[in-house]
Amino acid sequence: MAALRSTSRLLAPSRCLFRPVVASRSYANIASIDTSASRPPTPASQTKTVKEPAADGDSKIKTFHIYRWNPDEPTSKPKMQSYTLDLNKTGPMVLDALIRIKNEVDSTLTFRRSCREGICGSCAMNIDGVNTLACLCRIPTDTAKETRIYPLPHTYVVKDLVPDLTHFYKQYKSIKPYLQRDSKSPDGKEYRQTPADRKKLDGLYECILCACCSTSCPSYWWNSEQYLGPAILLQSYRWLNDSRDERHAERKEMLDNSMSLYRCHTILNCSRTCPKGLNPAKAIQEIKKDMAFGS
Amino acid sequence: MRPALLRQGLLITTRKASVPKPSILRACPPAAIQPITSIVRQTPRVATFHTTSRRAILPAGPQVLEGTANDPAPVPKPSPTHGSYHWTFERALSLGLVPLTIAPFAYGSLNPVMDSVLVAALLLHSHVGFTSIIIDYIPNRNHPRARKLFEWLLRLGTLVVGIGFYEFETNDVGLTQGVKRIWKAGSTDKVIGSA
Repeated sequence: MAALRSTSRLLAPSRCLFRPVVASRSYANIASIDTSASRPPTPASQTKTVKEPAADGDSKIKTFHIYRWNPDEPTSKPKMQSYTLDLNKTGPMVLDALIRIKNEVDSTLTFRRSCREGICGSCAMNIDGVNTLACLCRIPTDTAKETRIYPLPHTYVVKDLVPDLTHFYKQYKSIKPYLQRDSKSPDGKEYRQTPADRKKLDGLYECILCACCSTSCPSYWWNSEQYLGPAILLQSYRWLNDSRDERHAERKEMLDNSMSLYRCHTILNCSRTCPKGLNPAKAIQEIKKDMAFGS
Repeated sequence: MRPALLRQGLLITTRKASVPKPSILRACPPAAIQPITSIVRQTPRVATFHTTSRRAILPAGPQVLEGTANDPAPVPKPSPTHGSYHWTFERALSLGLVPLTIAPFAYGSLNPVMDSVLVAALLLHSHVGFTSIIIDYIPNRNHPRARKLFEWLLRLGTLVVGIGFYEFETNDVGLTQGVKRIWKAGSTDKVIGSA
């Protein structure tokens, strides 16, 4: 379209080349109104004030209490900050509310988020006492009740809702979460497995390592240095259970001590809180069974 | 007000202290005073009013990370006696306790040998359970001495209870008969039966 316009201007110039400038007819302008770019702005006293939309009877005002702690002031205590939002103008999920608070109310609020659809595991936090992903948690529509948002429990807090998961990732690395093989596949192509063997990985491979389950486990709270925790043990079982992996014995040996695996006392908080609906407790029990009766 | 006074006081003391060595002071006067003031600035601000107790019961220690963020967490040495064998033994013991506990109820007091087996199994079971509690709640990294203390206290307790049960089994009626004598609620019991 733009190209056409420039061509037409070339073919039909707006004024004749041989007519004087004074005689030519310029674009429509009314002498009484100045349309130049350098004209002064209308002063505020002559314009109407646009106010922030006031809360009316239809608006659903919900209060959010959010944990705040700023590392720039290390001596000041963490505090709970309250924000009110109109739910009619907010998306349905808690993450929508947090993003709206950050965009419109308080830009210093800090939290992790990425995919906003429950596949990255960044926005794991404690909402109304339950560890979950903010992007998968609906805002309770009951405006009489206030929502409380904390970082994941028993973690070292970096800022506001951002926990330090370094040790969690180091533990994940310690279980060697990759395929370990000594032999090549017979045809030199990919390592194949039967549909039945593939089915064994269902319910394990979906884990996104959001750390909701591990930080809900009291045993992990007390002994997170040595106990691996439900999330890492679920991943460990994912590799123990893989028909293509050839280091089954070594993987089991790594767990065969009093701390790594056997601090699990089947409290089952992990299975209850998992935002992806997985069952880490069952995976841990399967590992224990394998350790006791397996080859 | 107070920190400012403190800082001034410190500055005065440093000046007084450096009076006997004027040559050093002349050589580097800013460097001599600078570290002291920086120390004063680094002291944490202490809140003057506390609504909660200043000392937590079990304060969380500082975060300790071994190695860099890219190193894997250290893997403990494999020891099946504390790992899989221990777990299997513990579960077998728990399973064995079920018939051992039910049998005296069903058939009455069996014989002294079965009674002693029940007592021994109970004692081992509770010892294992208490050990687990100690491992859970007294971390070796933070409180190694408390851990040792409680482990030995538990061993002592188990030993004392073991000796007590040995006496009870050999010189008295035994556990099952003892429970039977204590636990009698029925029409014959005047206090409970009449109510």
